[in-house]
Amino acid sequence: MESSELARFEAVVLPHLDAAYTLARYLTRNEHDAEDVVQDACLRALKYFASFRGEEGTGARAWLLAIVRNTAFSARRRQRPDAGVLEFDEAQHSGAVADEHPEAALLRSAAKESLGRALDRLAPEFREVIVLRELEGLSYKEISDVAGVPVGTVMSRLSRARTRLQQALREEEGG
Amino acid sequence: MTHPGFEAQLDAYVDGELATVDARDLEAHLAQCPECARFRQERLELRAAIKARVPAFEAPAALRERVRAAVGAAAGARAPRRFAVRGVWRPLALAASLAVVAAGSWRLALQRAAGETLADDVLASHIRSLLPGHLTDVLSADQHTVKPWFNGRLDFSPPVYDFAARGYPLLGGRLDYVDGRSVAALVYGRRHHLINVFLWPAGRGPTAAPASETRQGYHLLHWATADYTYWVVSDLGLPELGDFAGLLRQADSATGAPK
Repeated sequence: MESSELARFEAVVLPHLDAAYTLARYLTRNEHDAEDVVQDACLRALKYFASFRGEEGTGARAWLLAIVRNTAFSARRRQRPDAGVLEFDEAQHSGAVADEHPEAALLRSAAKESLGRALDRLAPEFREVIVLRELEGLSYKEISDVAGVPVGTVMSRLSRARTRLQQALREEEGG
Repeated sequence: MTHPGFEAQLDAYVDGELATVDARDLEAHLAQCPECARFRQERLELRAAIKARVPAFEAPAALRERVRAAVGAAAGARAPRRFAVRGVWRPLALAASLAVVAAGSWRLALQRAAGETLADDVLASHIRSLLPGHLTDVLSADQHTVKPWFNGRLDFSPPVYDFAARGYPLLGGRLDYVDGRSVAALVYGRRHHLINVFLWPAGRGPTAAPASETRQGYHLLHWATADYTYWVVSDLGLPELGDFAGLLRQADSATGAPK
């Protein structure tokens, strides 16, 4: 790679490192994993950069976030081969809550959980739409490109994730 | 109990993602369905809560260096253009910026001494409005509902526009208190951002050129027409906020700044 191309990569991609790290933090729920995912994603981005025809700014941000997202999900699959990949049954996750142990549910009703914790407990497919929308400010179309699902799915996931967060918020305020 | 069929649509509406035609239908429904109106208000409150309590992170400096080093090393070792991505990713076309006024030209003289405290006041009102339940007194995307609501509450009738078609839907209005007087506050949305527009009658005078400042990560724009003093506050990026302010000014001059 020529040095001017490297300079262009740095100018286009590195401004979005905070956004990349934020998404990785919420997807991995762990700062060390998040750093690894971001570094890995940047190397992948470099590999694909020659084919990236977008502009700097929003286009580059969504492009990088898509790579971060895919890197995080494949890291998760490696760690947890049973994690059900991306084919996940929306009906089964109607509460939009992942991995909840019955005891955890009891604890939750006793101790009020924070909004941040409620977000952490969402299934990753729901968590990511919230982060992409509320924290990264992506449009539905951009989210659909990043997550690789139709806009209609973005809409329904976002809506259900919000309903779940709202329940947490209400428990927090009322409980 | 909300109408289940409406929930995702209401979300899209709150996000400014609903097509204009659908938005009109939904507004008609919202006007006569208190449950759905409540649902929408709760979504706005959730958004404010997320904004206040779920942080975006900054990449640690060490990570930034690590990435730079790794990328530099990998770039040195690699011949250009070995891979091509297929199909799935199409680079997103950047929406052409409609900015009426470039961000730089907002940077005009501010009347310092008096301006400082006023800006503090306006910013405090903006932040207060983001707290749950404080955003709107009248919750409507219909300018013909919002405008009359101010009758009898203020001694002026503020101009209210809806820029939903331009991506800045009207969300509602409320009474606020700035610089020792009651003022109109209009709330507009832009994706996940909220924009507060504060306005009150100006002492009839020359129209002032817009000026901008940034405080605590919020952008404030203000200007005066022959009839009103305007302050616009948001965490939206300055170019877009400038675009929005341009729409307001345009609408005002088109209608001859109604009173």
